[in-house]
Amino acid sequence: MTPRLKLALEIAAFAAFAFVLSILPRLISDFHTREVAIAGMYYIALLGLGILTGYSGQISLGHGAFMAIGGYATAILSVDHGMSPTWTIPLAGLIAGASGVLVGIPALRLAGIYLAIVTFGIAISVPQLLKKFEGFTGGTTGKYGEGLTSRPPFGLDTSSNHWLYYVTAGISLVLLAVAWAIVRQKPGRALQAIRDSEVAAASSGVSLPLYKTFAFAISAFYAGVAGALYAIANAYVNPDTFQVALSVYLVVGLAVGGLGSLAGLVVGAGLVYFLQFHADTVAGWLDKLPILDLDPKQPGIPSVVFGAVLIVVMLLLPTGAGGLLRRLLRPLTTRLYTRS
Amino acid sequence: MRRGLVICAVAAAVVAGAAGARPLATPGVSSNSIELGGSIPLSGEASAAGNVARGADYYFKYVNDHGGVLGRKISYKYLDDAYDPARAVQNTIRLVQQDQVFGMFNTLGTANNLAIRNFLNDNDVPQLFVAAGATTFGRDYKKYPWTIGYIPTYAEEGRIYGHYILASVKRPRIAVLYQNDEYGRDLLSGLQKGLGKKASTIAAKVGYDPTSSDVQGEVARLKASKANVFMVFAFGKFSLQAFNAVARLNWHPQIFVNDVSSASSLMAIVPQSAANGSISIVFGKDPAAPLWAKDKGVRLFQSILKKYGSGVSSRDLKDGYYVAGMASAFTMVDALKKAGKNLTRAGIVRAATHLNEKNNPFLLPSIVVKTSPTKRFPVTQVRLQRWKGKAWHPFGKLISAQPG
Amino acid sequence: MTIAFTWTEFFQQVAAGIRDGGIYASLALAIVIIYRSTRVINFAQGEMATFTTFVALSLMNHGLSFWAAFPIVLAIAFAGGVAIERVIIRPVEGASTVTIVIVTLGLALLLNGLTNVIWGGGERQFHGPFSTRTLDVGGVPISVQDIGIVAVSIVLVGLLALFFRYTKLGLGMRAAAINPASSRLAGVRVGWMLAFGWGLAAMLGAVSGMMIAPVVFLDPNMMQTVLLYAFAAAILGGLDSPLGAVVGGLLLGLTIDLLGRYVDPIGSTLKLPVALALILVLLLVKPGGLFGSVAVRRV
Repeated sequence: MTPRLKLALEIAAFAAFAFVLSILPRLISDFHTREVAIAGMYYIALLGLGILTGYSGQISLGHGAFMAIGGYATAILSVDHGMSPTWTIPLAGLIAGASGVLVGIPALRLAGIYLAIVTFGIAISVPQLLKKFEGFTGGTTGKYGEGLTSRPPFGLDTSSNHWLYYVTAGISLVLLAVAWAIVRQKPGRALQAIRDSEVAAASSGVSLPLYKTFAFAISAFYAGVAGALYAIANAYVNPDTFQVALSVYLVVGLAVGGLGSLAGLVVGAGLVYFLQFHADTVAGWLDKLPILDLDPKQPGIPSVVFGAVLIVVMLLLPTGAGGLLRRLLRPLTTRLYTRS
Repeated sequence: MRRGLVICAVAAAVVAGAAGARPLATPGVSSNSIELGGSIPLSGEASAAGNVARGADYYFKYVNDHGGVLGRKISYKYLDDAYDPARAVQNTIRLVQQDQVFGMFNTLGTANNLAIRNFLNDNDVPQLFVAAGATTFGRDYKKYPWTIGYIPTYAEEGRIYGHYILASVKRPRIAVLYQNDEYGRDLLSGLQKGLGKKASTIAAKVGYDPTSSDVQGEVARLKASKANVFMVFAFGKFSLQAFNAVARLNWHPQIFVNDVSSASSLMAIVPQSAANGSISIVFGKDPAAPLWAKDKGVRLFQSILKKYGSGVSSRDLKDGYYVAGMASAFTMVDALKKAGKNLTRAGIVRAATHLNEKNNPFLLPSIVVKTSPTKRFPVTQVRLQRWKGKAWHPFGKLISAQPG
Repeated sequence: MTIAFTWTEFFQQVAAGIRDGGIYASLALAIVIIYRSTRVINFAQGEMATFTTFVALSLMNHGLSFWAAFPIVLAIAFAGGVAIERVIIRPVEGASTVTIVIVTLGLALLLNGLTNVIWGGGERQFHGPFSTRTLDVGGVPISVQDIGIVAVSIVLVGLLALFFRYTKLGLGMRAAAINPASSRLAGVRVGWMLAFGWGLAAMLGAVSGMMIAPVVFLDPNMMQTVLLYAFAAAILGGLDSPLGAVVGGLLLGLTIDLLGRYVDPIGSTLKLPVALALILVLLLVKPGGLFGSVAVRRV
């Protein structure tokens, strides 16, 4: 299909997505609106991770740590310094982004698996650091207070859940557009070139340090924003919220959503949310299978499901939901092409 | 905030109306049912404590089979939070907004309860019989009138040990191993208060992080302080490892082990050379203790567990966490009965702050669960007990654990 | 509160550090074997070890003595490792690092969940092969178990060295890892060599778990914090050197425990970040570690 037609279709899809997001709260309950909002926060984090791992090919098993940085930044700024939570979000993102640069620079010298191990180590270490510097972070108790709240500011006449939803939806649309712009333009192509062959990319004049660090910085920014929103949603931050499991779940969401796909990540975000907060529902379904006699409250079942899903998806559908989507749409787009 | 609350309530009513349900006067209460909610770690590091919720659930089912409370059957919906406060918040909001529970009951963990306390109090939802020992849950009722604790506080437990040491150990030199979070630190500060002017008898204190793989190094360090008293303010496997280390290092101090880690099932698997003589406090009936083998309360617990539990093993029949849950559940039922037929949220809080319960079969026989609007610590009496011959032996009189 | 320095306590800390190091070394061995034979870093190594240790526990609860259960557990571990490699890892062998990492992460989640489902949470006692006696070495109490953990790791390294150098199978595994194409031409069944590597590593993990469980008490999450230290040990020693894994593990355990004890700001809370910092510095400065021959491609 022609580039212009593709562009038009993508813009149309984006507009449709934005439209659905805007009317969704009217169709579902107040609580479900909150659930979608939280899934949206995972989506934002996954967008960033997608740019980093899906497009520039750098593995990060530590993006929960960037969420933690963003979340704590918001908590500290709003509780200790009286900032209104909403305005802390971009700041939290920038602080996280700066840490992304700090990680990205040594990451330049680390290939594939070593980067995975180092980022895994970061994911494990950040909660420890948060516990240690308690004067700053509230230590093991965490941080909470009057300032950190999801109540709508300016006395707006809406519920906390709705406010949270609209802020998250608005931010995700903006960040999705930004991610899409990056990916379509030179940076995106450079990142993909780097992912496919660093040597080839370098010899075509792509500055590896610049783009690789940029990918880290921007993905950390996204994760920081997601973390900030998460802190606001819960009105509480605590080291246990950002343990290594969170980073692993993000990678799960990325893999299932599809490396290199921005749309598929919606599925990934939904999965991460669902398996974390509706594990009892999943266990309930499994219990209905005739062969299994499971106590739905038995711990471990969500992990088994998560793990199995992850393995199966990687074996059978390595391009994830995004890849599936592309495959399904290909006949449609090919026909459009041949028709024109 | 008020307006937001009204919007929420209207939205909920609209949805409920759209779904064809009768709008409820008091959420979670109908003519024949009461819905309680809870958030508890069912997976992850603290998952052994999940049995507290299961025990409570089974007790409610037992009560339901015997007529319920004033004609209403209790349903207890508890969700897994993997000890993550963010998940506890999400669970709580879901239970309150979507499932419309009457109140939150028996939620576990200090951080988790702190995380949900603001939301519950802002929305006038009872936070009942919190399964955590931080003093704030009973003390700060002026700011959080919907919240009430249950078990004796860790700070009081530490204080009791401090008093006892001064009364019973000549020239004490105390070493403390504590988990480096509010749980361990509350115990430590309670100990220091209990020692009062003699707080300098604490020769060494070492905190450990729950991500440690072992605490042998920490115990070695404490032994080097030449202490003759060793406080084990450690949780779960770290308490086990501490006993192991004491045995291996050939150290023979007077050991005090905190209540949460004192379950007979744990004490029985550590080297007995180290465990013998250890002292702890007790307020519930430990089902593994020979002392209660023929006790009616323990028999009741075991029969309830066998009837309503699934996959019950012999380990489960000796698990004190279930009993702890049943003790709370008994008090919950007690409060519900007191609150009467016309059940409201304000009413249950009033009932819970006017308790005078003498016959809880799952607590020590002479314990009276007593509360008032200004004294919101339901269980404030404990006894000391000593471990010998693979069993706990309570001694002495009931001691008050009422925070001053 | 600073406690005065005494030599006795120092040596106790050294003993504790070496024993912790032995724990990391034994898991690191398994990680290194898999890396060496299939070039995969197995994030599920700890969970595999924990699972097989629980299997041992079940066998022992059914009346078998430790030594009777031991070979059975090793056989089950071996079979399990081979099965995992053939069924789960083989299909993604040529895929990108990202895919392989994700698959081993999925495996870790799956095994951890299964362990919880089958055996439930909570700590158990595990009766290992070593007595719980304590020896007095110059005033410093050292337990037989601790010596045993370190000794077993060293013996295993020796056995592995002999295996890789002098047996046909061992040579075949090394060849398959270094140059699969040529090995095939030389008649080596490369596919089975890879599977065998996983089986061997699974056995090593089982041994590791069964040695550690008596000390730290068995529960489904037993190996989770050990894993990062094991990675650090493997990298310190050189990712493809079994000797390096053991030396690295012992050194790492000793260093981190001593730092945690004598450098107050570090304490117990920052031991993990210190291990991470160590990994980072090593990878940037000397990625081959002490004994390894791994080269990190610099761009």
